Amino acid sequence: MSTDAVVRELIAEAIGQDEAVVAALPGDTRLFGPEVGLSSLAGARLLDSVRERFGVDVAAEDLNLDALESIASLSGFVDQHQR
Amino acid sequence: MSSGRSVKCVVWDLDGTVWDEVAIEGDGQSLPTPRPDVLRAIDVLAERGILSSVASRTDPSLLALLKSTPELAERFVAPQLGWGDKSDSLRRIAAELGIGLDTLAFVDDTAFERAEVAARAPEVLVLSPEELAARLDEPPLLPPVLTDDSRARVRRYREDSDRKAAAASFGGSREDFLRDCDMRLAVREARPSDLDRLLELATRTHRLNSTGEVPSAEELRSMLASPEWFVPVARLTDRFGSYGMIGAALVERRDAAWRVHLLALSCRVAGRGVALAFLRWLMERSGAGIEVLMRPTSANLELRVLFRQCGMRVVEQPAHDLAVLGAPAGTPPPDAPAWLTIVEEDS
Repeated sequence: MSTDAVVRELIAEAIGQDEAVVAALPGDTRLFGPEVGLSSLAGARLLDSVRERFGVDVAAEDLNLDALESIASLSGFVDQHQR
Repeated sequence: MSSGRSVKCVVWDLDGTVWDEVAIEGDGQSLPTPRPDVLRAIDVLAERGILSSVASRTDPSLLALLKSTPELAERFVAPQLGWGDKSDSLRRIAAELGIGLDTLAFVDDTAFERAEVAARAPEVLVLSPEELAARLDEPPLLPPVLTDDSRARVRRYREDSDRKAAAASFGGSREDFLRDCDMRLAVREARPSDLDRLLELATRTHRLNSTGEVPSAEELRSMLASPEWFVPVARLTDRFGSYGMIGAALVERRDAAWRVHLLALSCRVAGRGVALAFLRWLMERSGAGIEVLMRPTSANLELRVLFRQCGMRVVEQPAHDLAVLGAPAGTPPPDAPAWLTIVEEDS
């Protein structure tokens, strides 16, 4: 499975949404926008599960957390930083 | 035992400790009469914000009797009755109350039970009934500082169980449930009488704490008196009761963006949109935008995500572990949580 597909699964899990719904969203969908509606609590959970799944610690490597901008920016960040 | 220990719950043995008899040798219809000195001690502890619970090695069916005896049911939270080891009961109590094992004290007249707990749950403060009586009026059973908020802990625990029960039986979505709770966030400037609670919030919050820096009482006092500082505090209530004073900020008023030196909220209110509502209110109140001092820790990631959600990025980095975050002027804040009403009060 591609990084992007797994990241979408983790997003769906963090916000308690159906995986198929998140899988169908355009890559530039904003995580804090109305479609995903990521809360700060769900965002912290999401970064925890990204770290567990990919070994990429977004919180440690990105002080601005810009990776949380959109679905594509998060999966792009993971792709770039994966060991 | 460390001097910094604080006790949040005393866990009592029943037979030989709370009462003299052995409950399962009774008539099966009622429980033995509790010793008046024990009931008094429980009430004294409750006034200090210290809960009481039960770990008894006995027939679990006695739990129904305990819960139907008002003088016991109202005093004991999360009671554990069964044949298992008491160290396991203590772990269940800590988990149910959401507190650490190292904040429990355990009272038992049987040396075997005290030794079992001391060996398998060494974080727990273990006492005989005589030791408890002798040490009732000294730390850690007597907290050094007693704020209204810590005093209300026992009442708040009960309100919290009501909330959990209501959430579990609620048919609609999580957001519908939050709306149904009728949450109100009352904000005002801190008064000198809030000083102890401000210190408590700065010291005891971790998850929703922006820097982890704790000002001294003296520093806080001068901030409260200075026109250059804005120190708002927030209280949260809902239809179940009051959470007490759950948030505060230390804000430097400037002509440019106001600078938030500390934002601290109790994790009791996590997951309810309170941090977002409080931060939004601060942004509006400033008029010139806000900047936030932020020291990333292993615990405060949720708060960092919140700042990102509000469009804030690093504008300055005074030290390798300290950043100043700010949003460009005119950045619209995210929508306020629809289920929460903000009420501004006079200071």
